[in-house]
Formats: sequence, C-alpha cells, structure tokens
Amino acid sequence: MSLIKHYVRISGQQPIDSGHPTTYNVCLDGQMLVSNAPADTLLADLYKGHIGDYPKFYKMDPLCKAGFIASELLLNAEGRRREQWGESRGVVLFNAASSLADDRNYQATIDDPETSFPSPSLFVYTLPNVLTGEIAIRNHFYGETNFIVLPTLDSEAMASAIEMTFSDGSLQSLVTGWVDCYSESQYDVLMLIVERDAIGHRDELSDEIKRLAN
Amino acid sequence: MEREMVVKLADNIISPLGVTTEENYRAVKAGRSALRLHEGVPGIPIPFFASLIDENILTVEGDYTKFERMCIQSVSAALANCDIDASSDRVLFIVSTTKANVSLLAGGRYPAVSDLPSAVLPGVVASRIASYFSNHRTPLVVSNACISGVCAQIEALRALEHGLCDYAVVVGADVQSAFIVTGFQALKAVSAEACRPFDRDRKGLNLGEAAATVIYGRTDTADNRWQMMCGAVRNDANHISGPSRTGEGSYLALRSVLQHITPDEIAFISAHGTATLYNDEMESIAVNRAGLANIPVGSLKGSYGHTMGAAGVLETLLSMSAVDDHTVLGTRGFENLGVSRPISVSSENRTTDRHAFIKLISGFGGCNAAAAFKKGGDR
Amino acid sequence: MEELILKLKNEIIEVLNLEDIKPEDIDENAPLFGEGLALDSIDALELIVLMEKNYGIKIKDPNEGKDIFKSVAVMADYISKNRTK
Repeated sequence: MSLIKHYVRISGQQPIDSGHPTTYNVCLDGQMLVSNAPADTLLADLYKGHIGDYPKFYKMDPLCKAGFIASELLLNAEGRRREQWGESRGVVLFNAASSLADDRNYQATIDDPETSFPSPSLFVYTLPNVLTGEIAIRNHFYGETNFIVLPTLDSEAMASAIEMTFSDGSLQSLVTGWVDCYSESQYDVLMLIVERDAIGHRDELSDEIKRLAN
Repeated sequence: MEREMVVKLADNIISPLGVTTEENYRAVKAGRSALRLHEGVPGIPIPFFASLIDENILTVEGDYTKFERMCIQSVSAALANCDIDASSDRVLFIVSTTKANVSLLAGGRYPAVSDLPSAVLPGVVASRIASYFSNHRTPLVVSNACISGVCAQIEALRALEHGLCDYAVVVGADVQSAFIVTGFQALKAVSAEACRPFDRDRKGLNLGEAAATVIYGRTDTADNRWQMMCGAVRNDANHISGPSRTGEGSYLALRSVLQHITPDEIAFISAHGTATLYNDEMESIAVNRAGLANIPVGSLKGSYGHTMGAAGVLETLLSMSAVDDHTVLGTRGFENLGVSRPISVSSENRTTDRHAFIKLISGFGGCNAAAAFKKGGDR
Repeated sequence: MEELILKLKNEIIEVLNLEDIKPEDIDENAPLFGEGLALDSIDALELIVLMEKNYGIKIKDPNEGKDIFKSVAVMADYISKNRTK
C-alpha cells in the first residue's frame, strides 16, 4: 500500500442502493475502528468521539457528514499539521449519486405549492462539491477542489483523474476517493490521501483503490 | 520533440438566442437577450427573471428529458462540424452540469430511494448521452458547482495531454427547474429585473438555460485554431456559498494561469460577473491582486443570465468568437462601476488586436477556476 | 412575551441545527450574529423563512434582517408586533 498514504473505509454490509437497512464498519489504515454500527447514530457518534469542536457539522447534509467525518479520521491518522499544505493540497472526490440525499430533502420543501418554503440551508448543500469546500474550509486547503460523478465506482476512471490532477505543478497531495450517499442511513466512503508519486502509476493506483473498495 | 497542443476542433451553442455558436455571437454582439420575467410557472410561486429555452427548438426525438435533449442536440451539431468517430473509445465524453435531471424528483413520485429511476444519477445520464452517439466509454460528469464548465475543459486538456483519449467532447448544460429557481430565490441571490454585472445598482443574478459543446483534440500545428493553453482550480477555504472577501481562490487561479501567459497577450478577461453584490466585488479584488486592472473585463450574464453548468463552456466559446472578430463584447446591463477596485468594464463593444483571453469563474463550495486560450499557436 | 421567547429559542435551535444547545444556553439579549451563537448569512436566510412560515411575516430584503435578528428578544418583540399567524 505505497501509493495510498492513508485511507478510511466506511461501508455498509448491504450495497448502498439495496434499500435494505444495514450496519456499518469503519476501517482506518487497515485497522477496524467500528464494526456493526447502526447507521442512524454512527456519524454523530464518530463526531462526538473524534472531533467535537466543529458544531457546523450538525448543519451539514448527509453526504457532507459522511465525507467530513471520513476526512477528519483520515487527517488525524496522517497526524500532520493541517495548515502546512495551503495551495499544495487539493480535494477531489467522486460518487454516483451526486447530492441525491439532500436533493430529496430540499425537493420536499418545495413540492407542495400551498406550503412551499424552500430551505436555503438545504439548498446550499444540493451540490456534491460543497463537501470538498467543507474539507477545504476546515483545513485551509487552497489547492484544487473538484467533484466528478461516475456511473459506478470505477477505480480506473478514478485513478486516471487523480493522476491527471497532478498536472498542476503546485499540487503535492490530494484528499480524494469515493463518497456516495443516498440518504441519512445509506452511504459508502473510501477516502484516501495520494501524493505526487502516483504520477506514472495509474494502474497500480487503480488496483489499490479496487482492493480497498471491496 | 515539441509538446503537442490541445486545440478546438468544433463547437456549438444552443440557447434562446440561437442554435449555433455563430447565431449566438451575433445576437450578443448586437446587444440582444432573451431575459424576461416569467410568471405562473408551475412549482415556482414567485416570478423570476430568466432566459429559458423553448422546448419547441429541441429536435431530438425519443424518450429523453429536456436536459438530455439539449445536450444531445448540441453535441450532434458540434460533431457535424468535425471528422471524428464519436463511437470510438478513444473519444471521451465529459458532461458539465450542476443538477442534470433533478426535476425527476418533483412531485414526490418516488417515495423510496429504491424507486428512483436511474436517470436521476448524473453518471447514468452522461452514459445515455454518450450512448446516443454509440460511445460506450465511461463518461465523466464534472459537478463542481458553477465552475463545472471550465473544470470540464481542464479535465479534457489533461486527458488529451496524457494520451488518455484522442478527442474530448465536452458538453455543459443545465435546465432551470423549479428546484434551482426556488433555491436561488431562497438565497435571495436573484434580481427581479435584468441583471447588472459589476454595476453600482446591481441587485442579483438572473437565471438562464443553454447547452454548449466544445470538442478538443491534440495536434502539433495549431494553424488558425483555438488552443486551450492551461487552466487552474483553487479553493477560497472560506465559506460554502459566499465568495472570499480577499478573492483568494480566484486570485490564486489567475496567478497560476499567468505563469503561461503574459498580461500584454490578453485581450480580455471573461469574468463570472453574476451581478450579485459579493461575486462581482470579489472578482474586482482578485483581478487587481493579479495585476490585471488594465485588462478589459466583461460578463455575459447580462445576455444569458447564469447558465450554471453551461456557463463555463458557453462563455469560453463566445469569447473565442469575440477575439476572432477583434472584439471585446460589451457587458449588457452595466452602466456605472460599482466595485471597490478599479477594473475596465464597458457596456459597449470594444476592439482588440490581441489573440488570447482568460475565462474566470467561481462557484459554491468556494471553488474558482481560470483558463487561458490563444488563437493559433505557431508564432 | 416569555412564552414567545422560549418558543422562539426552540424554533431557532431546530431550524439552525444547533444540536448541542438548549434554550437555557441562549441569552435572549445576546447578539445572534457576530458573537453569541455566531450565526452566518445562511442562518439569517433560514430565520427569514422561519418568520414567514411560523408567523406570516415576510422579510424581502436580507438587510432588514440584520436589525430584526439582533437578538432573540428583539426578534420576539418584532414578531409580537407584526405577526399575522
């Protein structure tokens, strides 16, 4: 595991789009942090146990909650001063559902024309890249942030896009990976830290991502 | 060995101002716009000022949503003007969109997530669009808020430079569904009149619909074609919906691009210029920090409104047409400068003898992008 | 007014997702923005929605909100004078 410097895996026992309730495992750099945790309390519990100093967390939509928690676990595991990166660290994330969970919640506030009260705080999260913004804000990362939606978790497409991002000579390191979310209780996360040594090793990176995603 | 260049092979714009890039350019140059007040639209109780595509101009047949029809029609038109086999897996489709088919969620038709049609997933939509052209390579969807259209072009540039594809078909589009319109109304970001980018009396943005396609390929002789030189994306790391008061991300993106182009080559900066109080102010700060206060700046939001995922592509293409026409397009809706730093904005068309421009853009999530384009490369 | 102030505190906690905060933690005379709860521009917009949804008061211009949302007490006073629900 040389190209992926650190990783966090938050995965359910059932596939994310199965519609069945599921419990979650959280794995950090090969160590199981949490196993068989119920979805509805997992993220809040992880927040209280590992973060606790960022009440903005409670305003986030389900996608951002899942991704933000993952990023905190990941960056804590990395253990470096977060402010040191500045422009040299970016955040590029991928998924299949875009901001679907929050889209549905926002849509519910406008569906009934008699009682239409569109919610601004829900609307601002109806863009998946806002998660990359939340991570950048928390950690003062000024580098490239982007969000790419794929038909499915495609490790080759991801590895290609990740490698290509290092075309930007200022970029030393990326917080990257897959953060998918269908609802408050359905999410699937594989978040990684990758650095410039990934350049020229696209296939290897793709294999590592595929292995960790399973 | 000379580094190969990435050049534009073909393009198209579909908007209320026309179904070709040429038609659109002529309309904008003549000061025309389809922006008007829309009232009584189902799902949108408060009237809104927008430029919307009449579905009657969309000719694509089959079971496709308005969004898909816009994309397919625009890509078809662009492909008709170049000689590539779109079905080849050496052709990469990149779609730029903020909300794709989100209107499928309306009306609570699908109570459970598992009921949802796959067409709500943007990656599936992109595959449907690519499949129309018999292309089965995994497409990318760039969903990076309003900067998606420039980001998608940057992804194309990189994919071509890395040899990951031989051609990139980039299409940017969004439909102004009740979802998007009510959302911007809830943020109180919209103006009930024609928007006024950079103006002292600006009151907010207008909304717009368009689909814009650009097809890029690699070459070692630019000849008389448009070259995409470089692009950069940076984050403000400040707020998820408000721009940075110091224009941090926008300035850093400009600074990066200025490593590859000098100010005296630049005909103009096609800015984001949404006509919100904060965006336009922020851009004036970023442009000044980058030392570009004397470069003409313009916004096309007064001609089209904010076209979301289409904006970055639409505004790049019109900028190319403008430079080809030795013109700096006037900013419709602008009269008196209303930002704290001096920038060179005009309501009138100006002339230029320069051959390059910068596209500058910002979006929710604190993201900002800049990209530089030059006509012909062999100088 | 006391009842309205308590109701308002609970509503604010709910619509702004102030998870770890209870009504007794909010000083009704403390500034809501800047210091105190340090609410931001999106929170202000949600408070505008709250005013219309729960009290029938329409605030068209976010700048008006700055004065009305100075503190919970100021909000409650404004509501008691202008509510239509």
